[in-house]
Amino acid sequence: MKLPERTDAVIVGAGAAGNLYAAVLAESGKSVLVLDPGPAWKSADLISSSIWSRRLRWGGPAIESTGRHAFGAGFNTGWGTGGAALHHYGTWPRLMPSDFTMKADFGKGLDWPISYDDLRPFYDRIQEEVGLSGDAEAEVWRPAGAPYPLPPLQQFAQARLLARGFHALDMKTAPSPMAILSQDYKGRPACLYDGWCDAGCPTGALANPLVTFHPRAVKAGARFLNGAHVTQLVPGKTARTAAGVEYIDSTGTRRTALADMVILAASTIANPAILLGSTGGDWSQGAGNSSGLVGRYFMTHSIASVYGFFDGEETENYMGVTGAQATNMDHYGKESLGGGAFGSLQWQLAPTMKPNDLLGVAMARADLFGPELTAFMDRAVHHLAVMFGFGEGLPLLENRVELSDRTGPGGVKTPRVVHTFAPESVKVSQSAAQLGLKIITAGGAAQPWAGPMATAHMMGGTIMGSEARTSVTDSFGRSHDIDNLIIAGPGLFPTAGAMNPNFTNHALALRGAEHAAARWLS
Amino acid sequence: MQIEQAFDGLAPNRRTLLKSAAFGLFAFKVAGADMLLSPAEARARRAALSKLSAEDAARLEAFGEALVPGARAAGLAHFVDANLARPHGESLLTVRYLDVLPPHHTFYKAGLAALDAASRAVLGGPFEGVSAAAARPLIAAMLPGTIAPWTGPPPALFYLAVRSDAADLVYGTRAAFARMQVPYMAHIEPATDW
Repeated sequence: MKLPERTDAVIVGAGAAGNLYAAVLAESGKSVLVLDPGPAWKSADLISSSIWSRRLRWGGPAIESTGRHAFGAGFNTGWGTGGAALHHYGTWPRLMPSDFTMKADFGKGLDWPISYDDLRPFYDRIQEEVGLSGDAEAEVWRPAGAPYPLPPLQQFAQARLLARGFHALDMKTAPSPMAILSQDYKGRPACLYDGWCDAGCPTGALANPLVTFHPRAVKAGARFLNGAHVTQLVPGKTARTAAGVEYIDSTGTRRTALADMVILAASTIANPAILLGSTGGDWSQGAGNSSGLVGRYFMTHSIASVYGFFDGEETENYMGVTGAQATNMDHYGKESLGGGAFGSLQWQLAPTMKPNDLLGVAMARADLFGPELTAFMDRAVHHLAVMFGFGEGLPLLENRVELSDRTGPGGVKTPRVVHTFAPESVKVSQSAAQLGLKIITAGGAAQPWAGPMATAHMMGGTIMGSEARTSVTDSFGRSHDIDNLIIAGPGLFPTAGAMNPNFTNHALALRGAEHAAARWLS
Repeated sequence: MQIEQAFDGLAPNRRTLLKSAAFGLFAFKVAGADMLLSPAEARARRAALSKLSAEDAARLEAFGEALVPGARAAGLAHFVDANLARPHGESLLTVRYLDVLPPHHTFYKAGLAALDAASRAVLGGPFEGVSAAAARPLIAAMLPGTIAPWTGPPPALFYLAVRSDAADLVYGTRAAFARMQVPYMAHIEPATDW
């Protein structure tokens, strides 16, 4: 197929935000070209194997990750159509109103330029579009919003056993809000609870882009070019315009895609890397970077993992979904943990554990090897239970995506992520681990233990804000500096909350895309 | 130039057990002939290695077997070697998750060399020549990073990478699931069992 020389919009990245933008803009009559460096995955490619699932992670030029609490880039990133959302777990809680006003309320971190109420209608519409399963009434912490269109997912023994500990301590649990279908919905089938979400869901029960906005985008005429590695934005006639993007195609040929509008919807790491590497024309310190904040305020969540055995019970830990079966947010208040901790905490109970893989049973006790590991596995595959405490990481100026000295395709410098949690964020995770041990013990688990602090999710780096001096974009993702540049993705978040970011990512992208379509280039 | 046309519409809507061609098989040379084999078959047939030397492979098998019993016969060295020979984006090694900068064959070779040097210094011989029992203290010092001497990649990282590779083969296959009485429940079935 011959590509047009020029389109109304060129979108960089075929992940969740890129596909949503492509659908909305193409359906509004715009010509759209989406460039993605990875493969053109189809649902039938998604083989049920933790070993195979590594193919879904970033396979491009190396991402360096450093800092005292280095971010797990290799596990969290995506590769190809669908992006990270192709292997994400579909755990979709909303941010809380307090996440939008942290600086105003506590003098820490940053404020969003919008409130929860601004985003609420987009959360409601997205959940209706993709089909969320949950119990809004049981989620007593949940902010105002429409009830879920589907009842909660089925729960298995692991969730019921873990919930006992919460209830014993007068803490609540609720079914996790999941972008996974509990019933057939809009032509997609209900979940089978086989627990292969991490390898990508080929049935269409989990709302990955291949079954949500990608088909809509393609149907509306958006074109997708895979194997296209975007190297930089091409300057326009003035410093306030971009002419398009330069990319290297799968044959190694350097090409240019011209467009009236450029939408950067690559990953939270790739977006700032592309901007920082765009030094043509008057963009000597990178495109859209008059604030010097491109790449800054990179954030991630801490994970406190708490395990225990329920001997005599079949925990069915291989059944369910990879995300979570139940949740608790009793300590979501920023100061609710006390002891110097600052930031929100969200519990996710009873994710599926397959025997192998990074989040699998064998890795739950990485210190065991030899016959001790064999004995552990024999017991754990049927009797182990786990819950994860997701802790908020504060936005810090020094946590950043920057360019390394290494080069990738076209001689372009590859990104380096530098990340260290604030001391009060570390205390959130430490407090969560201590609390989790009390909970799981109260529930009757034997020999409980907490794993080492880990990281999950990536946010920030191209934060939105009210002023060009203190942020990279406005609340719609429009660059403060370049009139026809929009940035999409969780990189826009000024704070991370403790919620899995993909629901908010979708809500923001829908808000931004509809705004762009309605006020095209105005 | 690859243009993605449309949602394929062929996604299985139930546990249909589609077969994926050559999944789990790797290209090996056996007596000069190209063959698609599982890692266990490749080991049994003494297939040639691409990235690892025979000494590397023997050492990796010994280390993997000490970490996860059963890894040697499952073809750990051939599994790692075949993946190291693939383009980075097609590798199935956990090292992709551990933010180790490629090329990854240098990571494995350097780790194996460091392990061997430590073994010679502490245990008086090459790692593959000592018993698993004798090697225990040395291995136990890797995750906390107290192993000495050590000149190579971070020992904890190397330990985790090889341990996970071995766990993939010993615990991550359909046969392993069956052995542990864990239902595999594939949506799309792997065509072979590694």
